[in-house]
Amino acid sequence: MSNKVAIIAANGGLFDAYKVFNIATAAAASDKEVAIFFTFEGLNLIHKQGMQALEMPAGKEHFAEGFAKAQIPAIPELVEMAIELGVKFIACQMTMDVMGLTKEDFVDGIEVGGAVTFLEYAKDAAPTLTF
Amino acid sequence: MIKSDVQLDAKGLACPMPIVKTKKAMSDVAEGQVLEVQATDKGSVADLAAWSKTVGHQYIGTSEDNGVFYHYIRKCNLETSEAMEKSFEPTISNEEAVAGEGLILDVREVAEYAFGHIPGAKSIPMGDLTNRLNELDPSQTIYVICRTGTRSDLAAQQLKAAGFTNIYNVLPGMTGYTGELQKEVQ
Repeated sequence: MSNKVAIIAANGGLFDAYKVFNIATAAAASDKEVAIFFTFEGLNLIHKQGMQALEMPAGKEHFAEGFAKAQIPAIPELVEMAIELGVKFIACQMTMDVMGLTKEDFVDGIEVGGAVTFLEYAKDAAPTLTF
Repeated sequence: MIKSDVQLDAKGLACPMPIVKTKKAMSDVAEGQVLEVQATDKGSVADLAAWSKTVGHQYIGTSEDNGVFYHYIRKCNLETSEAMEKSFEPTISNEEAVAGEGLILDVREVAEYAFGHIPGAKSIPMGDLTNRLNELDPSQTIYVICRTGTRSDLAAQQLKAAGFTNIYNVLPGMTGYTGELQKEVQ
């Protein structure tokens, strides 16, 4: 049985962030090795400023109340938790070039790599998830 | 209240935080000890059982009181606990022990006993045994049982060393027991 979980984060909204970081922290807390490849809008989820103000999908803003009521942790908290649990963040070099971003725009401790970096990691991972 | 060695308050926390906190709390729990996780997240009931299975700890059970779930998990190290040699003789089967005249002594932790034991069995956790020998009658036949026969093997040796003569280790133990269970929790 593989002890690795590989995640592709390709979308940048608040809901996307929860899907990615909940699965990632739960897997890491279950003694799995976890890596997330952040590409295109997904980079938003680890962008220092961007991750502070992730948007809900249009028309779903009323869920804000539900998030507060259920005491859901904020995304920056989950990001910190994921890092503490040893989740590896890989930012997509190509997207960074397109968007004019540098490693300093993101939370500390990330790696930067291309598609092959992720594929190499994911080749023996199970499951591989895409959000 | 069920006795446990370490307690974790994860009330009010939403998924995945109860799991993350449990993982962290487990590092302060010694092997064989029981962690109690208090949570209000309804998802924690299925999640903690699945988590325990994944990482190799023993999920004992969950009781609910007033909207709070109390989960009990015993820390295991699969490599050492399952592979331990059992050396105590004589041994007896589950069925023979249940049908026998003697006392069934359950040396698992209190929480394990509470979530299901053989009717009439007496509970003395292995760690308390040497301090509680006065509760046992040395002239009585005693069948010592635990989950897999490992702790009961050690307990049987302790009893023998203390001068008890009619001691049997019950194998395979509660994991192989399919009869009626008595519970101390709802």
